[in-house]
Amino acid sequence: MRRWTVRTHLAGLVALAAVACARGEHAPAAGPAVTDDAGRRVALAVPARRIVSLLPSFTEILFAIGAGHRLVGRTAWCDYPPAALAVPSVGDGIPPNVEAVAARRPDLVVLYRSGQNATAAEQLERLGIRTVLLDLNRLEELAPAARRLGVLTGRTAAGDSLARAMDSLVSQSPESPTPSPVSLVFLVWDNPPIVIGAGSYLDRLAGLAGARNVFHDIAAPSAQVSIETIAARNPDFIAVLSDTAAPPRYAGRPEWRVVPAVRKRRFLFLPGGLFGRPGPRAREAVRELRRRLDTTP
Amino acid sequence: MKYVVLAGAALATLAAALLVGPANLPFADLPGSAIVWQLRLPRAVLAFLVGGALGVAGTSLQALVRNPLADPFLLGLSGGAGLGAVAAIALHLPGPWALPLAAFVGAVGAMALVYRLGLMGGAELDPRILLLGGVAVGAFAAAITTALVSLAQATELRNAFLWLWGGFSGASWTTVLVMLAYAPLPLGVLVASARPLDLLALGEEPAQYLGADVRRLKRVVYLAASLLTAAAVAVAGVIGFVGLVVPHLCRLVWGRLHRTLLPTAFLTGGILLAAADTLARTVVAPRELPVGIVTALLGVPVFAFLLRRWTVS
Repeated sequence: MRRWTVRTHLAGLVALAAVACARGEHAPAAGPAVTDDAGRRVALAVPARRIVSLLPSFTEILFAIGAGHRLVGRTAWCDYPPAALAVPSVGDGIPPNVEAVAARRPDLVVLYRSGQNATAAEQLERLGIRTVLLDLNRLEELAPAARRLGVLTGRTAAGDSLARAMDSLVSQSPESPTPSPVSLVFLVWDNPPIVIGAGSYLDRLAGLAGARNVFHDIAAPSAQVSIETIAARNPDFIAVLSDTAAPPRYAGRPEWRVVPAVRKRRFLFLPGGLFGRPGPRAREAVRELRRRLDTTP
Repeated sequence: MKYVVLAGAALATLAAALLVGPANLPFADLPGSAIVWQLRLPRAVLAFLVGGALGVAGTSLQALVRNPLADPFLLGLSGGAGLGAVAAIALHLPGPWALPLAAFVGAVGAMALVYRLGLMGGAELDPRILLLGGVAVGAFAAAITTALVSLAQATELRNAFLWLWGGFSGASWTTVLVMLAYAPLPLGVLVASARPLDLLALGEEPAQYLGADVRRLKRVVYLAASLLTAAAVAVAGVIGFVGLVVPHLCRLVWGRLHRTLLPTAFLTGGILLAAADTLARTVVAPRELPVGIVTALLGVPVFAFLLRRWTVS
């Protein structure tokens, strides 16, 4: 008799557990879910409330869609908007310091998709922290990133609205609005010379500002070229990411003076805060670049 | 005869370096073009000089440590140069010459340390201690370099490594003049040591009996070869392979006498590196390959072929 009672109680418990499991399976479907750029399905029970952003661009996007107050961690490079500086830093983020990130007890970590970050994401997932890996090299990738961050933070409408703004910016104008646009080269480093190719947001930014990147034919985000190639392509301007307007130290060297734009000192100094990353301020960056192209002699 | 062949090959290589390039200049425009005079010619000459210097330095060091695996960069020089270059960027040293000078100072510092290790306890530059000391000093310098890079948080440091991987993008008449003014002294010292280096191949004691001042010879050769390599690092970064393979190539083809070996190693190294640089800047245009990749791609098959012929006969 007693044994029988125990058995029925056990059966009842099993049945309850089964129901609970079944409910558990359905529960995340009610919360936000997206597929990230690593092809992983990221599903949350509720919109993320404690977020760590490991790329300045993601930090900017999160603030732009009104989810900035939910940030509990950022990288040392995340300096915009100014409110971001009040968020605790978890280091430089390359590679992410998994322990420092976990110590912020986030319910979502947003990472740029790269080999090192994929490993860090795996480690965080093992600690029970959800992660999302997103691509962000080109301007075209801003809209899908904004849309998915909107979904995950429960700011779907704001995410969509930012995504539409970004989409309308990229689809705005033809590559060359004038028959013979001014041309430029983005010079990242001088020895060896590293330039920006079509795989970078800067290439598109130049196109939108009415300038032609002379290395648009290189598909990679950046590539090593020779000074001779730069001289042969003969860009009107040398664009450098720099917060000061001091001519780069290579400008006076004889081998660089073969490039006419260097000889004529036609440098565009683009502040790193605005031009060093793709983000919601892309429209502002386009305007600023256009202004500099018009005013630089 | 061999000098005529080598000189011919050297001239052909230099001519090719002047004629071809990513800019596709029409032939008639070549003589007056700044691209030829300011870019192609100094670059080709510098590549030739650096290749020659590395060939000679490699030959002498292999003779000195009596080890076929010796490479001018094995004795801690590349690690020291890397540390110097990264420190220059991390400390924001100003001026266009800060990076090469710092790399030179780093390489010479590493060399001095290995040299000191080699003299400890009356070891008198024992080849084994030189090799082990070189590897250890190199590893130590590399560790400090990596620590600097990971702690300093400057994106520019990544570019210090790009520079260090070697190449002739920064070639100008100034760098050619620096090399022309600097290289003849260590080169002359090494060529003058050709005969005692031959004796050293017999072993230190027999060389001593045959009249070589082994103690002095080892010190002089070590210092001259290292200073030559340090200069090559300063103007072109670390270019591997030339200093390892060119000596073997020349030994297989022209025999073991250093009187022939050193000049042929200079010409062969120069030809190999100038040709490799021409390919590096043209084959994937508009992009450019790091020259070290091309030297390995060119040198390894030739080397393997020679090794095979040598082991068969």
